[in-house]
Amino acid sequence: MFDRDPAGVRIELRGLTKHYPGQPAPAVDNVNLDIPAGELVVFVGPSGCGKTTTMKMINRLVEPTSGEIRIGGEDVLNLHPDELRRHIGYAIQQVGLFPHLTVGENVALVPKLLGWPAAKVADRVEELLSLVNLEPGAYHDRYPRQLSGGQQQRVGVARALAADPPVMLMDEPFGATDPITREHLQSEFAKLQKKLRKTIIFVTHDFEEAITLGDRIAVLRERSHIAQYDTPANILAAPADDYVAGFIGQDATLKRLALLTVDDVPAVGPVPSSNGLPRVDAGTSLREALDTMVAHGSDRCATPSGVLTYTALCEAVGTDGAKTGHEEVAAGDR
Amino acid sequence: MTADTIAIGRSGAPVRASGLRHVLTPAAIAVVLVALYAWVSTLELDSIERRSLNREVIVAKVVEHLQMTVAATALVVIIAVPLGIVASRSRNRFITPVILTAGNLGQAVPCIGLLVLATFVLGVGFQTALVGLVIYAVLPVLRNTMVGLQQIDPALVESARGMGMTKGQVLRRVELKLAVPAILAGLRTALVLTVGVATLGAFVAAGGLGELIINGLKLNRMPVTIVGGVLTACIAFFIDWLGSLAEKLLKPRGM
Amino acid sequence: MTFGEYVVSRWGTLSLAAAEHALVVAIAIGIATVVGVGIGLLGFQAPKVRGASLALSAGILTIPSLALLTLLIPITGLGWGPTLVALTGYAFLPIIRNTVTGLDGVDAATVEAGRGMGLSAARVLLKVRLPLAWPLILTGVRVSAQMLIGIAAIAAYVDGPGLGTQIFEGLARLGSVNSLNATLAGTLGIVVIAVLFDAFFFAVRQLTTPRGLRVRP
Repeated sequence: MFDRDPAGVRIELRGLTKHYPGQPAPAVDNVNLDIPAGELVVFVGPSGCGKTTTMKMINRLVEPTSGEIRIGGEDVLNLHPDELRRHIGYAIQQVGLFPHLTVGENVALVPKLLGWPAAKVADRVEELLSLVNLEPGAYHDRYPRQLSGGQQQRVGVARALAADPPVMLMDEPFGATDPITREHLQSEFAKLQKKLRKTIIFVTHDFEEAITLGDRIAVLRERSHIAQYDTPANILAAPADDYVAGFIGQDATLKRLALLTVDDVPAVGPVPSSNGLPRVDAGTSLREALDTMVAHGSDRCATPSGVLTYTALCEAVGTDGAKTGHEEVAAGDR
Repeated sequence: MTADTIAIGRSGAPVRASGLRHVLTPAAIAVVLVALYAWVSTLELDSIERRSLNREVIVAKVVEHLQMTVAATALVVIIAVPLGIVASRSRNRFITPVILTAGNLGQAVPCIGLLVLATFVLGVGFQTALVGLVIYAVLPVLRNTMVGLQQIDPALVESARGMGMTKGQVLRRVELKLAVPAILAGLRTALVLTVGVATLGAFVAAGGLGELIINGLKLNRMPVTIVGGVLTACIAFFIDWLGSLAEKLLKPRGM
Repeated sequence: MTFGEYVVSRWGTLSLAAAEHALVVAIAIGIATVVGVGIGLLGFQAPKVRGASLALSAGILTIPSLALLTLLIPITGLGWGPTLVALTGYAFLPIIRNTVTGLDGVDAATVEAGRGMGLSAARVLLKVRLPLAWPLILTGVRVSAQMLIGIAAIAAYVDGPGLGTQIFEGLARLGSVNSLNATLAGTLGIVVIAVLFDAFFFAVRQLTTPRGLRVRP
């Protein structure tokens, strides 16, 4: 339906506005945003800021009052809404699995709506259940009420992916699960997205989730005004204003360290043999590396490629750690 | 005084939960019928009683009774379910409290009054009884259909719309399927109600088992009244039992 | 004679019949409420009592009213006897069901808080669960009352009291001058009683629902 280039389709929002009749102010006011093909963009903001309304205008569950939406260059407002929605994956917090249909039937719905042949639908359902780590043999014929909350969310994601839509809209899809399950689902989903490279709009009020999953984050204030739109690292390093800074919280630097791994920092010195330094593995985040250092009372730790120092950590997030670092070490040496 | 009587469909559930009931009800009905037969055969029937208590008359009255019940229920379904669907659509929500209140007060409208009033327009006979029965039974089914559809989790409708189902598809594939238990509960109530009200059909010369009850009282022949009353009650229990089976069988799996 | 003239000329008979109609329903509802709520309180923690009482009251409700009223004649005779027994029997299901559902529906955390501060199980039932379930119980009573008002019309056929007498009079004199007037007076009178009962229950609900449940956030 949409023109796909190899990277997927891009989404452009131009002057997008929703003004509910009888309301003094628009719920969404003049949003302009470019979402690059194959990227996951997170809309983050407090409840009631219009982020969900903005998202729902893209698949026209909410009809815009004015403005323009282009997906892959095509003007969405000229398409038939039902036809449009069959080509946009949609996952919501309440999951919305149909309780009277089996897991398999739930996932097969959109492909069937699109008139895929039965054999192709069956293959696709198997493939998707495996993709979201649900053993097809065990789960295909179960009913949603026989699944745990986390399993339901997975089926929800599989259902949204069913017809291989280039675009996905996700509204706090992991919101209703406990923190441990949520973290697990998030990391699985991040891996999945690395493989699939869909263009995804992901709505959440959880800034941590936004950092974990987003290629870019749009921090929204009331009426969906964009306070800042940038990569997680840039937002953490340079929040546009106090509003964004407030959203990030007190530990912006720690959050930035969490985005980087030991592989991103040039290691100094030779590969240490066994000189008593605490060791971290490749792929460890700098935040965990710092944790290891503090836990061992050391200002450095050993990585597979060399030695990671406290100073290097500071430089990685752009602070001048050299001086303070040395003083502390000197004090520690005494 | 509006929306607090909604519990209808669901809260009836504990009564019919046990599987035992599915066997007990027909067994109890059979025992009662056999006992009734045994009791009547011990009686010395006089000529007046014999005129009513014979096979042909009883079968004819049962058939008339069932015809009235089935015809009225079929008409009720044809009228009430589509109206219930229309009333449940979000743009028609303003009508919800009206239907709920009417459904409540409608219970109080005496069906015998409706039947007699209908005779002033239509004369006596089967059609008159039918009209009265339908008017009486439409509201519970209409209300249950409407409430059943409105009770569906809005997230389900939203995700159905979100995945590109047309409004018609959402209604047929999701909403109506999920409302089946509530609609069936309403129908079952209507059926049992109709069996009862159909006894009043005898007052407007529409036949049915009410005729035995009334004639027995009129002619002071209690056995005739008792046979009529027990048979009606047995039919009501039997139809309620059929309804419970239908609810069990037609309820969507997974729920 | 117009309907208005009919009502005026028979005002004495009509108002007496209406008062009796309301009275017989009120007595039946009163008995059924006391007994039904009692059974609900007992049955609330005893699944067998609950199941049996619900099944029994549903069974009674299944029996067609004309059949029940006439089948009672050999036991209770004609008149008020069968009317009161039948009406009381029919009133149980909505009351017991709503009592049980209401008591059950009280938020578990609220109950736990009550237990946690040292209230006995019986006190929790009477001081916490019952007041919170009261609006739903009252709804059950109201639904029962509406139903009884309609059924009571048929009681006139077994010489019971109430406005049903007017309807049956109209039926008996079908074709005569006043038959339509009598039927209309009976039917409309019963609807008026139903509306008055509903208003009464609305007022009771406003007066007896704990204030904390009435205020809107």
